[in-house]
Amino acid sequence: MKKLLGNISALCVATAFVMSGPAFAQDKVLNIMNSGGEYGDSIEKCVNEPFFKAEGIKVVQDTPGGFAKLQAQAKSGVITNTSSDAPTGDMYRGVAEGILEPIDWAKLNPEPMFEEAKAEYGFGASYFSTIMAYRNDAKAPANFVEFFDTEKFPGKRALPDYPEFVLPFAAMGDGQTPEEMAKGVDLDRAFKTLERIKGDIIWWQSGAQPAQLLKDNEAQYAIAWSGRVLGHEGITATYNQGMLDISWNVVAKGITDDQRDMLYKWLRLQTNAEVQKCLLDFLPYPGPSPELEKIVTPEVLKTFPTSAENKAVQWLSPGQWWFENAKEVEKRWNEFKLLQ
Amino acid sequence: MSGPSRLSDVALAAFAMLVLIFLLLPVLIVAPMSFSDAKSLEFPPPGFSLRWYQNLLGNPIWIDAGKNSIVLATFSSTIALICGTLAAYVLVRGDFRGRRALEANFMAPMIVPSIIVAVSLYIFFARTGLLGTFFGLVLGHTILATPYVVLIMQAAIRSFDIRIEQVAATLGASQWQILTRVVLPNLAPSAAAAWIFTFVMSFDEVVVTMFISGTYMTIPKRMFAELLLQVNPTITAVATLLIAFNLLALALLLLFSRRTTLSQGLT
Amino acid sequence: MSDASLAARGAAADAAAPRRRIRWDLILLIAPLAIATAVIFDIPLLNTAYWAVTDETGALSGQYFREFAESAAYMRIIWRTLLISLEVTVITMLLGYPLAYWATRLTMRPRMIVLGLVVMTFWVSILVRTYAWIVILGNGGLVNRGLQWTGLTSKPVQFLYNEFGIVVGMTNVLLPFLVLPLFAAMIRVDQRLLQVAETLGASRFRIFWQIFFPLTVPTLAASAILVFILSLGFYITPAVLGGGRVPLIANMMDLLINRFARWEIAAVVSIVLMVITLSLYAVYQRLRERYQ
Repeated sequence: MKKLLGNISALCVATAFVMSGPAFAQDKVLNIMNSGGEYGDSIEKCVNEPFFKAEGIKVVQDTPGGFAKLQAQAKSGVITNTSSDAPTGDMYRGVAEGILEPIDWAKLNPEPMFEEAKAEYGFGASYFSTIMAYRNDAKAPANFVEFFDTEKFPGKRALPDYPEFVLPFAAMGDGQTPEEMAKGVDLDRAFKTLERIKGDIIWWQSGAQPAQLLKDNEAQYAIAWSGRVLGHEGITATYNQGMLDISWNVVAKGITDDQRDMLYKWLRLQTNAEVQKCLLDFLPYPGPSPELEKIVTPEVLKTFPTSAENKAVQWLSPGQWWFENAKEVEKRWNEFKLLQ
Repeated sequence: MSGPSRLSDVALAAFAMLVLIFLLLPVLIVAPMSFSDAKSLEFPPPGFSLRWYQNLLGNPIWIDAGKNSIVLATFSSTIALICGTLAAYVLVRGDFRGRRALEANFMAPMIVPSIIVAVSLYIFFARTGLLGTFFGLVLGHTILATPYVVLIMQAAIRSFDIRIEQVAATLGASQWQILTRVVLPNLAPSAAAAWIFTFVMSFDEVVVTMFISGTYMTIPKRMFAELLLQVNPTITAVATLLIAFNLLALALLLLFSRRTTLSQGLT
Repeated sequence: MSDASLAARGAAADAAAPRRRIRWDLILLIAPLAIATAVIFDIPLLNTAYWAVTDETGALSGQYFREFAESAAYMRIIWRTLLISLEVTVITMLLGYPLAYWATRLTMRPRMIVLGLVVMTFWVSILVRTYAWIVILGNGGLVNRGLQWTGLTSKPVQFLYNEFGIVVGMTNVLLPFLVLPLFAAMIRVDQRLLQVAETLGASRFRIFWQIFFPLTVPTLAASAILVFILSLGFYITPAVLGGGRVPLIANMMDLLINRFARWEIAAVVSIVLMVITLSLYAVYQRLRERYQ
């Protein structure tokens, strides 16, 4: 009898331990985060599949990524996701918070890429822009002051649920000019705008959402990532006053050497010009290879946020300012989000 | 019967039926949508198609999530059933100080809002290295399931006549024989019902899973993530399959509980 | 050990067995769950409480409670949650009572069908039922298409991503929690009481309001409290149907943990929610025990 009871009790514990097996018995897996949707599909097809064939490493994507998730993961002390995509603002906030590790460029050993895409804490994966988009049947705003004018331009606004993507535009909505943006975002003006129109905001977290919200007529205006809204039927999207930026891959502090080896190999594959061309079939986000311009058609080149014509009407994200104001941004953003 | 009261009868029936429709609408609306051939959500569906099911079954992410969900639910409900049944037996047949307090403790995970359990397990697992492990996930689901097992099995054991155990004992049966030959067989239908119930609970669980599962994907977690991100008709197929699964489980459960009442009626 | 049944010994333990004798068999049976509950539930909860009341050094401190109390944000979300929960509870009562009452007056077969349908919805995952409201109430959804087709509105009406959507979704999920116990209580009401009143010439209106309704009030109150408690912890429905614009307590806790990494404040909120829940639960238990 005693033996039976002992056995049964042990069974509870034993089954539980057997269960922990799958956690260790898997093939080599690299966990990364990114904004998902079509972008995730493109990475899956052009990078992860050939990568698995070549290296036998399965890449698992988690969606979405970004500063907040990296920070939560850093605090939990369990670093499962080795890397996330991040805009410049996010990257600098991460550096300020000490949750990123610098990139060992010598070890990563990339194929030729633009120097500006090789940052101390970031691997520049592609160029993209954050721009305004609206339904064709909505009244067209000429700039962000009009975009945030809900009286003259009635309708819901689909806005990014990420401070670095929404605050600069909100500040512009209160009259800050794109030229002034180089010195930093005027937070008071930004939050003033958001407070004013918060009843009309729908927040989005995944890059695929704004186009969907516009199509479903859940929102009439949106701030979205260029590749996700350009070329959609029924939607107008313009680079005008857009924020040109590099999408970085940042590395979480605390990953193991094994994870770093896999991650660097995965990143190196992305510096290949052909891989970058493949990604362009999904979204018009050009990679940092100098070779890329030579192997794509002029029509494709014209859609790049980096083409001379498009570049002229955009402005650059003020990275240093995000670094210096990381705490302030975090505090005010969190408070705003909770209070809305 | 007077005129006004007949009128009030009709009004009551009409109102109650509207409430019933309100209650049923979500369950009824999803299935037809899943067989739609439209690319976006349209009701009524313009034509019949299985594309969303093909889409679902052809997607390795959903298949993986499905496997995880099944393994997770199987383990957590089995562990919960074993531990919970043994504890229920002691709670019913034992008489010791602190019995009620212990029972209340066993029931607590059912009463405390699951978001609190989620936050607590997140912090605790993060500090003990269990965060994001499958083992931790199984533990989390198990603790959510045990109160229901204890509840169901206590009721079953209580309705099982203690004298039968005593007779078996006087006839010379060992404790081992009493438990395995007398008690457990009689409890089997209730145990099956409890297992199904907790399996379904685990299979549908989102909140605790979201917090502690790390990179492990389960069907409801995946579905929740997709819901927040985009409206994708594949979800209607997932939802329809979930409804079918839940109703099947309910039917099975009713089957078992009918047998329980039958066997109780006989003893 | 083989010749006395566990059960009999259990019953006789205090009387027959010497006090000092420890019941190893019983302890062994109950140990797995007791240990599991302690390790996976009690200790994590205590740990959360510990996070709430200590500072980084581990010293006792009320700083996070103070931060919680002083920030307008947290209190406002708690108020909003209480208000929405109250709305949901009242609407659930107004909808659920007539449904339960109607069911008691049906003949056996239709009654079983109605109850079966209610139980069935209870079994379908909350996620699925919440999702369906997007299909029904979205801008391109069933209701809006209907409204535009009949020409009542030219533009879609915004049902979702606001409080209305959340209240609809929560009410839908919580109705069975009220209807089922209420039905059980109504069916137990002694029909002879009502018959006596009728023979004494009371109108049906009076019979209902002066006899039947008061008899069902305790269960109505108990179920309403249960619905209220469940509303307080709702996560999925506000997240999906609120579109992130109307966070309730649970969504705030998600933000605090998974986005802001503020564990201490999340711990404080947990404690506050826990205290509210458990006090209400105590009231619920007393109501149930007194009237059953």
